[in-house]
Amino acid sequence: MRKPAFAVTAAAGILASGAALADFPERTIENIFPWTQGAAMAASQIVAKAMGDELGESITIVSTPGAGGTKSFITAMGRPADGYTIIDGWVAPLVLQPVLGNADWTHADFKPLHAAHSVPFSVGLSADNTRWSTFEEVMAYCAEHPGELRYSTDARENLPHMVTARVLQAYNCVAQNIPYGTDGDAVKDLKAGVLDFAYVNPRAYLQEPEAFNMVLALTDSEEAAKTYGGAPNLTDLDIDIGISGLAPMGWTWWLVHPDTPDEETEILRNAMGAAMAREDVREQLRNIGFNPLSYGPDQYDAVVGPVREQLESMRNAIAWEEEQMKAQ
Amino acid sequence: MFDSLLAGLPLFLTFQTIALVTIGVCFGLVVGALPGLGPLMGMILVLPFAIGQPPIAAIGLLTAIFVAGSCGGSVSAILLGIPGTPLAAATLFDGYPMARAGRGADAIGISISSSALGGLFGGVILIISTPMLAEFASGFTAPEYTALAITGLITVAVISEGSLTKGLLAGCFGLLIATIGTDQFSNGYRFTFGSYHMLDGFHIVAIVVGLFAIPEMVWQVMRPGLDEKVMLPPVRVGLRAIALTLGHWGNLLRSSALGAFFGAIPGASGVASSFVAYAAAKAMARPDEKYGDGAEGGVVATESANNATVGGVFVPTLALGIPGDAGAAVLLGALVILGVFPGPGLFANQPEIVGGIFLVYLFSNVLLLILGVLMTPLFVYVLRIRASTLIPVVLLFCAVGTFALQASVFDLWAMLGFGLVGILFKAARYPLAPVVIGVILGPLLENNYRRSLLISREGHWIFIDRPISAVLLAIDLILLIGVIVYGIRQARARRTAVQPAG
Repeated sequence: MRKPAFAVTAAAGILASGAALADFPERTIENIFPWTQGAAMAASQIVAKAMGDELGESITIVSTPGAGGTKSFITAMGRPADGYTIIDGWVAPLVLQPVLGNADWTHADFKPLHAAHSVPFSVGLSADNTRWSTFEEVMAYCAEHPGELRYSTDARENLPHMVTARVLQAYNCVAQNIPYGTDGDAVKDLKAGVLDFAYVNPRAYLQEPEAFNMVLALTDSEEAAKTYGGAPNLTDLDIDIGISGLAPMGWTWWLVHPDTPDEETEILRNAMGAAMAREDVREQLRNIGFNPLSYGPDQYDAVVGPVREQLESMRNAIAWEEEQMKAQ
Repeated sequence: MFDSLLAGLPLFLTFQTIALVTIGVCFGLVVGALPGLGPLMGMILVLPFAIGQPPIAAIGLLTAIFVAGSCGGSVSAILLGIPGTPLAAATLFDGYPMARAGRGADAIGISISSSALGGLFGGVILIISTPMLAEFASGFTAPEYTALAITGLITVAVISEGSLTKGLLAGCFGLLIATIGTDQFSNGYRFTFGSYHMLDGFHIVAIVVGLFAIPEMVWQVMRPGLDEKVMLPPVRVGLRAIALTLGHWGNLLRSSALGAFFGAIPGASGVASSFVAYAAAKAMARPDEKYGDGAEGGVVATESANNATVGGVFVPTLALGIPGDAGAAVLLGALVILGVFPGPGLFANQPEIVGGIFLVYLFSNVLLLILGVLMTPLFVYVLRIRASTLIPVVLLFCAVGTFALQASVFDLWAMLGFGLVGILFKAARYPLAPVVIGVILGPLLENNYRRSLLISREGHWIFIDRPISAVLLAIDLILLIGVIVYGIRQARARRTAVQPAG
């Protein structure tokens, strides 16, 4: 009697899992996003909408800020590994925070879907600033007046801060970093003349390009520098900070919990791949200053691995800045 | 001004926004009418749902509850002699005698039309003055925001109900709660006790629901008459009430202006404005108008004033990011969760959001007039619901809504924890609104203060070197001295009152 019962149970189980898979997704999927609302969330919403259309179920973006983005990863990893939770894998919580010793994972601890989009960082001056017109002029003044200039990269110890600090270090420029918590506040203070230079994100720049003098796009890609109206990039100014490709930029690679079943993962990968291949989606991302990426899951290790190595090489830049400021 | 209204029109003219505002007005009238609930509780109950909607639809829902709830309290004040909310306390003076004289329908009609017209007047003030204030504040940077946050905290703590010291202490408690989470300047963790749930502090909705809803329900459970059903005759309101209200146009304009003015001062509440407007109307009334004995003018004054206050409250909330009262603090919290950051930058960067908010506010008042008149029999019927039925439903809403925020059991524990804190505060007669305002203004104060010092090359002199910051700090100083003098006088008065008895 037992054997048939077991067989029936097993068959029912197989059928049930098959039925569950056939139905996946049968409810809303959540994308756990590591920042507060702003330009980056708008970009994720574009991808989520398109991917949701491909899946036939909506994907909502859940803002879970805190601890440099790591709270979102911990939150998502605490959820069931059933494919209904996607991690919006921004480089800061995925690679930078582990490099800084604030998280104990590596990129290999997650299952990748597709890369979504990247955003180049920048250095901008207020258009009303008549003291300098080029990045080299700012750096020359800064080197002569250590500790006098004030700049912001929005939050502290984020990737723009690390890359900017590394560039300043290359010019022996010691300046005070001013942290801001809300997207747009630093740019407001830049325009008010309180800050000398700042990271101007693409949305702020595209909203009011005439308000800024973009003196540097922190990328070696001419294509990415177009986001800032063709501002000089690292190659143009012959700045070698030892990083290239995605490493000096912000980007997100959507991920899922490593225990997510392969079947569900594959469905998500296919949907995201189809969404990212759509020209309307790519155009919408470009319109808000984000560059759509085309990397697939099979390229994850090859692309993300070197980013970690390059960021490791820059981790001392912020410490150098702090030490130099203390010495002033 | 008109540009932002035009820009906001597409956001306003959506089925979702109009439907949520309509629901909000109905819900607001119901929660306003039910004694013990009120607009703040109504907003808190729908807050978890609202933050999942698009910004203007969400703010439309909350604003409609704020507007209609500020009026709904008059229904129970007029018919039962029990104000549904403290806002309607002054309406009792003449509304209840009118009902006893068989003019209950007229009193409710006047109350609804005065509220709607007063609210629309407040809306005009809002639309004219908010962009001007925001334009003035557009050059504000860290030192000015520091001074503003201090102004907000002092005024709110001072004018909140109960003792001055308790108000200030409650505000400080809110500031302490605001320090929990990740420090923006060092990325260090503060008071997180190793729990990742607290890396960004407590969710503002869990705090607000816990602090306000749970203690109120506990107090209602302890009141007598938990199972009593109130019997009321059906009441129908006609359009005649609008004509009756317009007959008091001078009173209406004066009271609305007073209400909007009070609303624009952070901390001054609709309760204060309705009493002041009532006093002014009474002082300027003809001798044959028997105030306190069923005068129509009394209802016109209090209801137009307390609804115009809502429009006024929006002025500092939107232009400066300083919440005028607890309701505005809830709205401000919702806006921030929705990715809309009130302050001068909002007017420059997202004029469509500002325009959308103006439009939902105006539409809420127009709907209040229409739905209020048409649906009064329903609101009167709602007054018959037993407290023993209502309380579990409210608590269930609180729990489900809070859990739904992030599907987090931790948020439920946080809500219950703040519920206990709220019960203790209420038992010790500490006001709760300053706690919420402290939580909201805390990061504004701390971060801008520390940011100012980092920007400054001369330490604290940055606060004096910048003229607007210096003026705001001087105002803060005057307020603080005023607070201390007032506190000393209060204490002396209490001592004098106690001595003869002792």
